[in-house]
Amino acid sequence: MKRLAELKQSGHKAFVAYIMAGDGGIEKLGEQIQHLQERGVTAIEVGIPFSDPVADGPTIEAAGNRALDEGITLEKVLEEMQRFDFEVKVPLIIMTYLNPVIRFGAERFTLEAKKAGASGIIIPDLPFEHRQLIEPFAKQQELVLIQLVTLTTIDSRLKEILKQAEGFVYAVTVTGITGSRDELAEEVGAFTRKVRELSPVPVYAGFGISKESHVDMLRDDVDGFIVGSAIVQAFHEGRIEDVEPLIDAVTAPHSV
Amino acid sequence: MTHVKICGLMEEQHVKAASSADAIGFVFAPSRRRVSIERAQELSRLATNEVQRIGVFVNASYEEIDKAVKTVPLTMVQLHGDEPDELIQRIEVPVIQAFSIRTPADVEKLNSSIADYVLVDAPGTDYRGGSGHVFDWSLLENANLDHSRLILAGGLNKDNVQAAISQTHPFMVDVSSGVETDGRKDEVKIQQFILQAKGDSMERTQEKTIDPVGFFGRYGGQFVPETLMKAVKELEAAYEDAKNDAEFQKEYHHYLKEYVGREQPLTFAARMTEAWGGPKIYLKREDLNHTGAHKVNNAIGQALLAQRMGKRKIVAETGAGQHGVATATICALFDLDCVVFMGEEDIKRQQLNVFRMKLLGARVESVTKGSGTLKDAVNEALRYWVTNVEDTHYLIGSALGPHPFPTMVRDFQSVIGKETKRQILEKEGRLPDAIVACVGGGSNAIGMFHPFIEDASVRLIGAEAAGDGVDTERHAATLTKGSEGVLHGAMMKILQDDAGQVQEAHSISAGLDYPGIGPEHAHLADNGRVTYEAITDDEALASVIEMSRLEGIIPALESAHAIAEAKKQAQSMTADDVLIICVSGRGDKDMATYAEKMEGLS
Repeated sequence: MKRLAELKQSGHKAFVAYIMAGDGGIEKLGEQIQHLQERGVTAIEVGIPFSDPVADGPTIEAAGNRALDEGITLEKVLEEMQRFDFEVKVPLIIMTYLNPVIRFGAERFTLEAKKAGASGIIIPDLPFEHRQLIEPFAKQQELVLIQLVTLTTIDSRLKEILKQAEGFVYAVTVTGITGSRDELAEEVGAFTRKVRELSPVPVYAGFGISKESHVDMLRDDVDGFIVGSAIVQAFHEGRIEDVEPLIDAVTAPHSV
Repeated sequence: MTHVKICGLMEEQHVKAASSADAIGFVFAPSRRRVSIERAQELSRLATNEVQRIGVFVNASYEEIDKAVKTVPLTMVQLHGDEPDELIQRIEVPVIQAFSIRTPADVEKLNSSIADYVLVDAPGTDYRGGSGHVFDWSLLENANLDHSRLILAGGLNKDNVQAAISQTHPFMVDVSSGVETDGRKDEVKIQQFILQAKGDSMERTQEKTIDPVGFFGRYGGQFVPETLMKAVKELEAAYEDAKNDAEFQKEYHHYLKEYVGREQPLTFAARMTEAWGGPKIYLKREDLNHTGAHKVNNAIGQALLAQRMGKRKIVAETGAGQHGVATATICALFDLDCVVFMGEEDIKRQQLNVFRMKLLGARVESVTKGSGTLKDAVNEALRYWVTNVEDTHYLIGSALGPHPFPTMVRDFQSVIGKETKRQILEKEGRLPDAIVACVGGGSNAIGMFHPFIEDASVRLIGAEAAGDGVDTERHAATLTKGSEGVLHGAMMKILQDDAGQVQEAHSISAGLDYPGIGPEHAHLADNGRVTYEAITDDEALASVIEMSRLEGIIPALESAHAIAEAKKQAQSMTADDVLIICVSGRGDKDMATYAEKMEGLS
């Protein structure tokens, strides 16, 4: 995760890709990670399927259901990651809803995630107030617990969350669920600027990012972008090359 | 926090797996887990200094015990035989004396033990020193025990240890066979047991969390995406304010009286009383509310609160459609925008209610995902709320969801129990002996039970839906078959698989067809104040016919579960007893199901 701070120092923008583990079969997980790291992404979020993903839109929900139909579980994903026989060159972050973690055991989860080579954890339905459920165990394993901030996060709370932020801050750029959008709201720029001023760690924009126009709009106000639904759908339809211009638009050196 | 002892260790890896336990036990008495003093010494070296080493003996000599204490060395001694007090006094380290518990008389013996700690277990079978069976923990209640020296053993495992702790409040729990697979200790089970016993989740959160408000024991909380936190916090503050505002309460009660038609009668059911041949049966008539069920009590309260917060758009979920109808009705009354999410399957079986909502001006959104029932409708309502949170209030229909919903819904529904209490005192001059209500998410039941929680003489029984039967794949018996988990914003009891995926529930009753139970019910089940029983589809249908013909009241399918359970309870009650059933709603909405299931009814 140090790499992310260094990248910020160097002025380059980060591209974080989200994939749904086990969509298309568990053996796809390693292939997708290798493909994305070869294509120059900065970090990868490994999504764990859940039966009731209330923060997600139809694309990721459908991918999760396909993975569940394949019998994918948190345990199977962590085991598969522990079996990777290629070099993982980018930070891997496990993104999961809380219930599978509770069922698996919080301490055991952090232990196995560490063994699986993860650097961080994102749990969208674990608010800042309840982070003690996971954070002490994550700390023991030197895993960062990434916090989300949103357009509805009030200022006093934003400061409180950012004070504790590690790794990077996930700035949610829509008031809503995950999924591709045509346009982002006007106020998003002001929001990410505010977050970036207050944040001790890089600020990445996510939810709804699917087009180069989104990247152009926010480029100067964030340290990177998180793209989920667009990548998940492209992998599903076997046309990941369609996303490559978006990766390039973010990661290519930019002269402004 | 409760201490944990892992007993009967024989192998290195198991001692290591128990590293976060407070104590480990070595058995020196005849047993398949017996170890020699030398072996215990080797194993003991692998444990950290903080861990207590406890030796287990049955009628051993002082010399034998003393040798083990000094050699291993042991920090405590546990005695399972008929050791005399003189021996206990001579032992230099603290002593645990074990007792088999079968009757209240066995419990009384505990107080006369001179040992530092008393260990309670079920009566053993082959060897003395641990049965592997659970005994009736309720024997330990009201027994005037010193719980700070109580050690609980017997049949514990990761699934029951929390319930055991919350019921008996021991100093330590002791497990052996509960962390074994095929007669051998299992590292994963050891670790899971310790995490569960130490409250891997809620208990620990409560100690550490910034804001412990909104928990019932280990259940509750605010497990929602960050986008919703602002709305949830605002709601919490607004409700706190409204609750203590006499004007708000006055307005709420005004609508209950003038619009809903409260108070509702507590009807003496003379023919059911006669037919069942047991206690006097009274029916709390929530079926007489405007819109046909208890749901409207809550819908009015929340709609008034939403307006107070300046929100004029309402989203709701509905299962049977009763909450959807109540919400649509109130939105018409107050001129609020209303969208209701309802599962496709429920739309099919509750057509009449779908039409009623539309007639009232609400938009009904069909949810085709999952099993197309209540859980899926809640998911979609939550997604809609996340997207429209700035101007929309989520009017949740059951005692579920993130804090403050479970508390708020319970408070608005408590009018049921408060009226009932006043009425039964007028009619009988005393409190009832038992009250039965049906539970899906649990709102009519918690509203009925809450005013009686402190009245220990009143037995409270929740009837949940067993569908085709609790041993089949098709049921909604969350408390009978569920386990702790987070769903729809709260830690509660849910039906889930081993990987933490929430399972689909099944019940003939659309209102009970939900794989979770609200956090307060989960807590009341753990602490034993309320007992929960499961009623099958067929039993519920039989009760529909029975009550219709005996009392001229056609109950909703949901309420029929309470009636069926009440009939069972009545078997063991006498003519001097009083039993109250909460008839949460009327059966009009279920007529299509009744017609189909009771074809050829004569």
